[in-house]
Amino acid sequence: MANFDLLMHGFGIAITPMHLMLMVGGVLMGLIVGVLPGLGAPNGVSLLIPLTFALDPTSAIILLSSMYWGALFGGSTTSILFNIPGEPSSVATTFDGYPMARSGQSTRALTLAFMSAGFGALLGVIVITLLAGWASQFALKFGAPEYFAVYFLAFAAFIGMGSAAPMKTMVSLAAGLLLASVGMDSVTGSIRLTFGFEDLLGGISFLVVVIGLFGIGELLSTVQEGLRFRGVASKIDLRDVLKTIAELPRYWATYIRSGLIGIWMGITPGGPTAASFMSYGIARSSSRKGAAFGTGRPEGIVAPETADHSAGSCAMLPMLALGVPSSATAAVMMGGLMIWGLTPGPMLFATQPDFVWGLIASMYVSNLIGVVLVLATVPMFAALLRIPFTIIGPMIVAICFVGAYTVSNATFDLWVVLVFGLVGYLFSRLDYPLAPLVLAMVLGHKAENAFHQSMVLSDGSLSIFFANPLVSSIMVLGIALLVLPKLVAFGSRFRRQVPVE
Amino acid sequence: MTVKVFHAELGTAIATGLLGLAGVFGALELGRGWTESGPEAGYFPFYVGLILLGASLWNLIAAFLKHREAAGIEAEEPFLDRDRARRLGIFIAALLAFVIVTLTMGIYVGSILYITWSAWRQGGYRLPVALGVGAGFALSLYLIFEAIFKIPLLKGPIEPLLGIY
Repeated sequence: MANFDLLMHGFGIAITPMHLMLMVGGVLMGLIVGVLPGLGAPNGVSLLIPLTFALDPTSAIILLSSMYWGALFGGSTTSILFNIPGEPSSVATTFDGYPMARSGQSTRALTLAFMSAGFGALLGVIVITLLAGWASQFALKFGAPEYFAVYFLAFAAFIGMGSAAPMKTMVSLAAGLLLASVGMDSVTGSIRLTFGFEDLLGGISFLVVVIGLFGIGELLSTVQEGLRFRGVASKIDLRDVLKTIAELPRYWATYIRSGLIGIWMGITPGGPTAASFMSYGIARSSSRKGAAFGTGRPEGIVAPETADHSAGSCAMLPMLALGVPSSATAAVMMGGLMIWGLTPGPMLFATQPDFVWGLIASMYVSNLIGVVLVLATVPMFAALLRIPFTIIGPMIVAICFVGAYTVSNATFDLWVVLVFGLVGYLFSRLDYPLAPLVLAMVLGHKAENAFHQSMVLSDGSLSIFFANPLVSSIMVLGIALLVLPKLVAFGSRFRRQVPVE
Repeated sequence: MTVKVFHAELGTAIATGLLGLAGVFGALELGRGWTESGPEAGYFPFYVGLILLGASLWNLIAAFLKHREAAGIEAEEPFLDRDRARRLGIFIAALLAFVIVTLTMGIYVGSILYITWSAWRQGGYRLPVALGVGAGFALSLYLIFEAIFKIPLLKGPIEPLLGIY
C-alpha cells in the first residue's frame, strides 16, 4: 500500500489552484492543437517546452501532460465531426464515428468517444499507479548492458510491431540515431559529422526536428488534399449525453478488451496509433451480430478510443521508470525532462518522488477535467475548423517557426524546420513511420553511451548482452519482437489461400 | 507533369542511402576502431550508417520489384498529379519566401507579410482586412512571447526604429 500513500501525497501536490489552472490551460491548448491540422500532440508539446523553462519541473510536466490529453481528445473530435483525424491515433475513430455523426447522432458519437477515452485513460493511470513502484525497483537492478538491451527492445518493437514495412522503420530509426550523433560527442569529446558546418557543432535539436516533421509535414499533406471540410453540426445536447452514458455498460466486453490492448501497447513501445487500429480490428472480427462496422457501430468508437487513451497514458510508465518512451509525444516529453535537468529512469522515483507522484496524480485529475471540458467546449473548437485555411494555415506555419526559433534562438533552426517539413511530408506519403525517428533522436545518446559502457566493461565482446539471465531475457524478448510478428503474418498468409473479405 | 509513387520511392531511398553513406564516411574520418579506453568516436555512427545504407538499398530494390510487378497490369498510382503539385508548389514557394523574409526582416515582418499575402491573394479577402489579420497575429505573438513570457523573438532592422528591442 506504499503506492497508495505516495499517490495521496501526489494528489496533495497536484491539487493546488496553480496546478489546476495549468491543467485547464493545458487541456484547452491541447484541444486547440488536436483540432487544428498541422498541430498535433508531439509538436504541440515541442512548441510549449521553451515556455516551460520558467516553471518548476512538476508544474511543467503537469502542463505538458495535460496538453497531451487535450490533444488526444481534440483529435477524436475532428475525427467524428469532420472525418479528419486530428491525430494519427484517432484515424480508427473516423471509421464508425463519422458515419454515426452523419446520421444525426453526433452527440452520441462524441459522448461515446470521450467517455471511452476517459475510461481508457483511467485504466492506464491505475496500471501506472500499481506498477510504478515495482517497475522502478526492478529497473534499479539495471546496468549499462541492461539499458542497452531495453533500448534495443524498444527499437525492435517498433520494427516488428509497427504497421509500416520493417525496412522503412529501420531507415527511420537509423536516420534518427545518425542525426542524434551529430555535434559534440559526450563520451569522447570529439566533434562528429558536422562536415565543417559551424551551425551543426551544437547538434541538431530534436524539438526543432519534431516541429518540422509533424507540423510543417502535416500541413503540406493537408495542402495537397486541397482542404475542404465537410463538417457535421456540433451542438451538444445534455439529455443525449446522459442517455449515452446510460448505454455505456452494455459495451463492457469491448471496454475491457480494448483497455488491455491499450495497456499492452502502451507499455511495450507499440504506441497509441497501433493500439487503436489493433483494438478496432479485434472488435470488428469478434462481433457476431448487429449492423456492420463502418456504418456507425458504437463498438467501433468505443474500441479505438479506449485503446488509444489507455496506451497514451501507459506510455508514461516506461518513460518514467526506464527512460524509454513508447510514443512520439512521450519521447518529446522525456526530452523536456532532460532539458529541465531531470534524468528519467529508476532514480527519478527515489530522488524526485514529488515530481513522479505529482504527475501520476495529475493524470487522474486532468483526464477528468479533460472529459468535462471537451464536452463543454466542442462546438467552440469545432468552429476553429471553419476558419478558412488561407488564414489559419499561414498562422500555424508562423507558430511552428516561432516555436523552433525559441528552442535555442538560432536562425539555422528555421532551415532545419523547412527541410524536415519536406522530409515529414515525403515520409508520411510513402508510409515511413515518423515516431521511430523521434524516439531514436531522443534516445540516441543514451543508447550509444550504454553501448559504449558495455563494450568497455566486456572489452569489446558482444557476449555481455547475454551475460546474465536479466539482460539475456530482455535481448531475447527484443529479438522475438523483431522477428515473430512478421513470421506470424507470413505464416498466416501462407496458410490462408482464400482472401478474407 | 505527374510524379509516380515509384519515382518518389526511388528518390527517398537514394536520399536516405546518401545520408547513411555520409555517416559512414564521417565516421571513418573519426576512426571507427578500438582504443585502450574503448570504442572510438566513429564506432557507433559507422555501424548506424551502414545499417541505414543497407535498409535504403533494400527499399530501393523493393520499389523496383513492386514497379515491375505493377507494370502492364494497371496504371501506377500517381504520387502527385498536376493539381496537387501546383497547390503544393505554391505553398512551398510561399514558405520559402517566408523563411527568407524572416531571416532578413525578422519574424514579425515575415508573418505579417505572409498571412496578409495568403488571406489577400489566396483567400480572396480585401487587402485592409487581410492586413488587419496579419497585424493582429503579429501583435498577439508579441504579447504572448515578449510581454508575458519574456522570450525575445527574431527581429530585423525595422523593430529598433519603433523602439522595440
